[in-house]
Amino acid sequence: MRRSFLLPTSWRGWCVLVCFALVIAAGLWPVIELVNRGGLVFGLPALVTWSYVILLGCCAVMALGNLLIREIDDE
Amino acid sequence: MNSSWPLIITLGYIVIAIVIGLGARGRRQMSSLEEWGVAGRSMGPMTLYLLIAAGSVSAYTFMGAPGWAYAKGIPVFYVVIYLGYLALVAWYFGPKVWAFGARFGHVTQASAIADRYQSPVLGALAALVMSVGSIAYAVLQTIGSAYILFVMSGGAIPVWVGVILVLCCIAIYLYASGQRAIGKTNVFQGVLMFIVAWAVGLWATHTATGSWGFAEVFSRLAVEAPEYLSLPGAGGDMSFAFWTTSIVVSMLSFMPPVWTQWMSATSARTIRRAATWLPTYYLVILPMVVVGFIGIFAMPQLARADTVALEYAMQHLPVVLVGLLGAGTLAASMSSSEPFIHSVALTYAKDVFQPLFKLSDATAGKLARWMIFPLMALVIAPLAIAEPGNLVMILLIGLGFASQVLPAFIGMFFWKKATALGVGAGIGVGFLVTVAFTTLWPHPLGVHAGFWGLMVNLPVFWLVSRITAPVADDVVERFFRIAAPWQYRADKATHGLASAETR
Repeated sequence: MRRSFLLPTSWRGWCVLVCFALVIAAGLWPVIELVNRGGLVFGLPALVTWSYVILLGCCAVMALGNLLIREIDDE
Repeated sequence: MNSSWPLIITLGYIVIAIVIGLGARGRRQMSSLEEWGVAGRSMGPMTLYLLIAAGSVSAYTFMGAPGWAYAKGIPVFYVVIYLGYLALVAWYFGPKVWAFGARFGHVTQASAIADRYQSPVLGALAALVMSVGSIAYAVLQTIGSAYILFVMSGGAIPVWVGVILVLCCIAIYLYASGQRAIGKTNVFQGVLMFIVAWAVGLWATHTATGSWGFAEVFSRLAVEAPEYLSLPGAGGDMSFAFWTTSIVVSMLSFMPPVWTQWMSATSARTIRRAATWLPTYYLVILPMVVVGFIGIFAMPQLARADTVALEYAMQHLPVVLVGLLGAGTLAASMSSSEPFIHSVALTYAKDVFQPLFKLSDATAGKLARWMIFPLMALVIAPLAIAEPGNLVMILLIGLGFASQVLPAFIGMFFWKKATALGVGAGIGVGFLVTVAFTTLWPHPLGVHAGFWGLMVNLPVFWLVSRITAPVADDVVERFFRIAAPWQYRADKATHGLASAETR
């Protein structure tokens, strides 16, 4: 039966969805409160380093999505 | 600063931008919406990467962000995070939007909305209201451009002349080459901005600390002004709630030019390739923000925070770098304003005037090109020259509306039962709440006004959609075969299995 609200139907889809959710959660409260320390990490404030870790995480989950999901049939 | 080199370099950038923009046309005819509006869907991954990246990096990166770092400190980095998340949005939604455009002929966001909900009125309404924020944004960027010319010329080019000069430059290549000009100039502007930001950031750091690394800057701040290095920042106003809701609202605001950029790609896969690496471009923000942090101890008495990078450069950097900073800042503001001007002209012609006056596609295509002139001459230029005090408020209200259009996209990508009335009702109440919580009672409980709007908007959207007539099944299926092709494949497999078992 077709659902009116769409969710993934394969483990690959769920895997990508969960990775997206994790990387988004990493930039929001409460995770950001844990990272919000005054010290420096790699010479930068912890939150700055964390911001760029999140950017790398974004690239990584999209690259993973490119590997796992090949449903684009609109070429 | 008495040298004329900064002005020569900045004006040189304008000449190069015009040449590139005009050259982007080649021998193509630009009279169709498909060609002028979305570049014949011809942009490859590298062009698209720089088109989206440069379009999202505005004068804010060169002026506003260092200013925020100077005044508040670390809270400025919420921008880095939400820009990264916008790449995730582009990765997921971009290919689907591209497929809608390629299959159904959409060239604007509003035309997709009108088609999904079979409501030209809803499409026109979305076009008109989204244009408020877009125009206010373009005006602010134009003011930024004119300000740069004013500073680089030592006051010889007054703001009103700068506004006219910049708008004329954009008008020439935008009329001639449309989205192709935006694509080619954004490639140039994107590369220029990245190089300039890192050159200025590293040089400023070396001047201030004697070291080429940023660690010295932050080590000093950790001792002298630690409040700048953690939330809520030196201003004390970036709570975790505001940080979180600002990122969520910004991520969920689907601005029309971005939609047009996605539709300009050669294929759906091109968008995924470009989006995957898009976050790497936002390294451009770090060095400019560091200049703002340097200003905290190097220029503690600055009157206007958003001039910190320019002031520091003019006092401490070589004239060539000052000129490059002027060119980079001008590139940032122009690369952001031109997609908004283009998208407003396009959507007015396609989604407002075409259905209203029953125009042919050819006439709408010509109209879109000509529309940029009255838009610039009668709206953007006067507003940029007058600099009305409530312009930022208009922008905030416009952006508040952009976040409230979310139900239209939920119905396009996730929920089949969404109706035009449900979307309209959700947008209406969400917009009213956002405006009230932006102007009358700003951000109650430290939560972003747009987030409050969504909290009311989404339940109303759901409720009204449940009790109103749904859109015809064939239309919904047409969209969801693109939005969720896996579901139709799963259905086909299930039905095939059931038929086999029956036999």
